[in-house]
Amino acid sequence: MLRARSLLPLALGLAGMIGAAAPPVKVGATLPLTGSEARIGGFFKEGYELAFEEVNKAGGLQVGGQKMNVSLTLLDDTSTQATAVSLADRLVNADKVDFLLGTYSSHLIEAQSTVAEQYKVPYINGGGGATKIFKRGFKYIFGTISPVELLGTTLMTWIDGQQKAGKLPRPAKIALLWENTAHGKDFRKGVSDHVAQSKGAYTIAVDESFALDGKDFGALLGKVKAAKVDLFLADAHLPDYITMHRQYVAMGLCHKVVSYGARGSEKGAIEALGRENVNYVLSGVWWSAQLAAKPGPSRDFVNAFKARYGGREPEWFQALAYQSAKTLFTAIQQAGKVDREAVRQKLAAMKQGSLLPGGTLEFPAAFGQQAQNPFVLQQNLPDSGAPIIYPPDVATGTGVAPNPNCGK
Amino acid sequence: MERFIDLAVSAVLLAGLYATMAYGLGMIYGVLRVVNLAHGGVIMAGAYMGWVLHGRLGLDPYLSIPLVVGASYLLGVGMYKVLVRHLPRGAAGGPASLLLLFGFWLVLRNAAYLLFTGNDQSITTTWSTRSVALLGTHISATRLAVLGVGVLVPLGLHALLRHTHLGRAIRAVAQNPDSCTLVGVDVERIYTITFGLGTALAGLAGLLSATIFAFNPGSGSGELLKSFVVVVLGGLGSVLGTGIAALILAVVEVFAILVMPSYLTAAVGFIMLVLVLVIRPGGLFGHRVLG
Repeated sequence: MLRARSLLPLALGLAGMIGAAAPPVKVGATLPLTGSEARIGGFFKEGYELAFEEVNKAGGLQVGGQKMNVSLTLLDDTSTQATAVSLADRLVNADKVDFLLGTYSSHLIEAQSTVAEQYKVPYINGGGGATKIFKRGFKYIFGTISPVELLGTTLMTWIDGQQKAGKLPRPAKIALLWENTAHGKDFRKGVSDHVAQSKGAYTIAVDESFALDGKDFGALLGKVKAAKVDLFLADAHLPDYITMHRQYVAMGLCHKVVSYGARGSEKGAIEALGRENVNYVLSGVWWSAQLAAKPGPSRDFVNAFKARYGGREPEWFQALAYQSAKTLFTAIQQAGKVDREAVRQKLAAMKQGSLLPGGTLEFPAAFGQQAQNPFVLQQNLPDSGAPIIYPPDVATGTGVAPNPNCGK
Repeated sequence: MERFIDLAVSAVLLAGLYATMAYGLGMIYGVLRVVNLAHGGVIMAGAYMGWVLHGRLGLDPYLSIPLVVGASYLLGVGMYKVLVRHLPRGAAGGPASLLLLFGFWLVLRNAAYLLFTGNDQSITTTWSTRSVALLGTHISATRLAVLGVGVLVPLGLHALLRHTHLGRAIRAVAQNPDSCTLVGVDVERIYTITFGLGTALAGLAGLLSATIFAFNPGSGSGELLKSFVVVVLGGLGSVLGTGIAALILAVVEVFAILVMPSYLTAAVGFIMLVLVLVIRPGGLFGHRVLG
């Protein structure tokens, strides 16, 4: 069932509309508001809404000497590729939008971005981190979300520091488990490339992939146990993290460093697994609300988000959606006209301040116009939640290695 | 040796789960000759029932078994009376029953999305990550409990089918419903009860799965596929065969990791399914599936 709804005529306050002579800049997007990705689709919607509301409240965009409001036509792609593609086509050809913002999840963006490329419409997304999306030579897709490869690299960089401080053995044996998806393959590449360049500091003793939504990881974890590794580095989506880590704990496994990639600090996972069982688990995310500890774009965003959504704290999903929309607005203003090619060129050459880790955002052509901002690493600690432990300039806590649980 | 024991223990525990998931599907096909495509949806519904009872009432999932089984039984009775009984019997009803029950699964799935959103959920108890030390290895308490249920269910089914009047009637209807009508067995009643029992077993499987895995409204398809493999491998209609087939499937899948990548081990079961359908269509212990 295709259920497309125009959810959001985010066209500003009435006063602004009366005062604006120029027609609004029309932006289109689809999001998975129903179906399997509905929860995160809802998060992205919040980020988009906030960005549009802010700019319109401020009087609109300054485009070539006149103020222009922005409107968002948002449709529900029902978490399916075919719908995401057909609705993007509709947005361009029937709704006549000027620009597109991306949906959420790599497989939807991979399919949908072909429409943007076909019609030469700038398409900015913060929800598809798989590198293969950006390796197709497309000119109109821009990603504010860093590749998962960098997550593996960032994890290994922190581990390097612990190893050099004598807290981890050298060489250290790694069990590298990754889901058999583009996400998992990117993670594996990040870790294994780092290992290859480490001059013998690490060896990968177990290198195994697993199918999504696995029901039993006993055999896989048995292999890890037999290999007697030091570091357990996995990349998993939330359901597999819960299933795998329950078995990990029940089997009595413990490693000096434990990570499930981007998973670990979520409230739902901690509730499902028990705080005592997830202590010292490392996780890497694209953005954390803890970045608001220091003045800057993250603090501004968190304050605005809390004011808009009843004090609730945003996650990286809302932050990347917000940043994607703001980046598009900046490019339109820089172009000085509502012209797709001019805006594309401004995006390609952009280097602007952002709320992402690293503080700036650019879309390097060498990486297919995918941002390369660093990840922030968090670690679940017994008494202080999950502070950021890396990079040092934004750290809100100190990481612990080796895992103290293993000595108990 | 330690590795072998670890793998063997994993296989036995996994077999308990597979068997629990498959009994309901096998029972309904064995008696009604209906492939219940809504089986995966009922497993998902059973998981949510357990989750609600645990979250709202604080009921331990094992204490909520009677409630979930009872509710699933009533769901099955309702499904039969409202939907399945109107289908033509035999081969003529095949495509119609597949479409109808698949449609019902979609209804269940979308109702769950509406009620519970698409968030991943799980049932967490104080013993979710506990283990028992045995044979030099650690055995997950939740999986051990599921194995226990996986063993008790066929024993209970066996006792029901062999030693009660209802069980004898079910077996008779499975063999020849027309003759049963002639000797006064209320075939419709037996069909209703059987569909209810099969659905109750699916609900039970969902509840138990929820103590091990995270789930969401989209869950159930993987469970349905595994159930198919187990039921066809064991022979449709054979309770004992289902249990043994579950063990065979689990052993093959778990030990396959010694010779192939982990993500391919799940495919081994489907290769077995094809081989069994080609070489021994009746399954290892039961009746012919095709023809």
